[in-house]
Amino acid sequence: MDMNTAFHRILILGYGKVTGEVLQYVCGRREEYGYRIEFIEHEIHPFSVTEQICATHKIPYRRITDKRELAAYLGQIEEKTLLISASNNFLFPASLVEKPHITIINFHNALLPAYPGRNAPTWVIYMGEKRTGITWHYVTAGVDEGSIIIQKECEITPDMKAYELTERLMDLAAEAFRESFAQIMAESVKAREQGFDPGRRMYRSFEVPSDGTFAMTDSPEEIYRLLRSVDYGKNNIFPPVKTTVDGQAAEILRYRKIPIDKRKDGEELLYLPLDGGNLLKIKYHFI
Amino acid sequence: MQERILEILSEYCEEALTYNGDSMMEDGIIDSFTVINVVSDLEDEFDIEIDAKYVIAENFRNKEAIIALVQKLLEE
Repeated sequence: MDMNTAFHRILILGYGKVTGEVLQYVCGRREEYGYRIEFIEHEIHPFSVTEQICATHKIPYRRITDKRELAAYLGQIEEKTLLISASNNFLFPASLVEKPHITIINFHNALLPAYPGRNAPTWVIYMGEKRTGITWHYVTAGVDEGSIIIQKECEITPDMKAYELTERLMDLAAEAFRESFAQIMAESVKAREQGFDPGRRMYRSFEVPSDGTFAMTDSPEEIYRLLRSVDYGKNNIFPPVKTTVDGQAAEILRYRKIPIDKRKDGEELLYLPLDGGNLLKIKYHFI
Repeated sequence: MQERILEILSEYCEEALTYNGDSMMEDGIIDSFTVINVVSDLEDEFDIEIDAKYVIAENFRNKEAIIALVQKLLEE
C-alpha cells in the first residue's frame, strides 16, 4: 500500500451513472490504498448496472431498500469509513453523521448554496438559469448544508431538457470526484463553508414547477421551459404536464421543437411559435 | 420501418447497429440516457406511446428487441 489514508473501508450508496463511475474508480485505486469497498443499493432503477459492476470487480453488494434497515446497518459501522453518497436520496440520520469514525461525502446536482434539496436540474431550467453545476460536500445533519469539497460548472443550453442536464452534471460529478479523491482520502481537503442564508429556499420532492400546468395564454417560451424542466423521459419523476385545450382538460404526451417547414397538422396537436423560425410541437390527449 | 428505427438508434449509438450480444446496457453499449433519447424519437417518428412499463433493459437489450417493441406497439 503506497498511498496514505486512515480509512479502512469505503462504502458507496447511490444509483445511476455517477455511482457506477465512482464505484469503478474507487475499485481501481483500492490496491494503492488498501481499503475494503462495499456497495449498497437503496433505490432500485430499471437500468442500474451497479450490481453487475460489483460482480465483475468482486465488490460486496447489498440491497437494502428499507430506510430504517439501512440506517440500522450503517449505524453498526465501527471502523474508520468513508461513505460516498452519489445520486442518493437517503437522508443520513444525525446520529450517523455525528460519529467521528465515519466521514460522509455527497454529490449534489447544483452549485450549493443555490438550489438545495431535490430535483435541482428541474428548477435551474425552470427558473431560466444559464449556468449551473455540481457540488461534492461533506455531509452534516442538515440537508445539503455541509462544507464544500469541490464544485464544477456547466452551461444550460437553450433547448436542454432535465435529463440531458442531469447527464452532463453526472459527468462533471465523476470528473470532480476523481480530482479530489486523493485529498479526501488524506483528509486534507480545504473545505469551504457554504455561508448560506438559513432562510434559503429548499426544494422538496413533491414540488412541481408551475404545479405541472400551463395556460394557453402563457408565452411559448415559458411553456417550452416548463416542458423541458420536467422532462426526465419515462422516469416518471413528475406527472404529465397538463393544460386546457378548447375548455377541455388535456395531458401532454410529448413535445418537440421543430423548424417551421416541418409542420404537419393533425389531431390533438398544438403548434406554438418559438424564436428563430421554429415551432413548439405539442402532442396531447384529452383527459 | 426497421430502417428508420436503426437510423434513430445510430444517431445516439452507432455501436448498437453492429452489436450482436444480448445485453447492451450491461455491456456498456447504451446507458439510460441513450434510452430516453431513443424512446423520445421513436414515439415521435411512429406516433406511438411507449409506456414506462416497456422501458426496461429487456426491451433494449439489442436492436432486434427494440424493433420488436415498436412492431408490437404499432399493432396494438
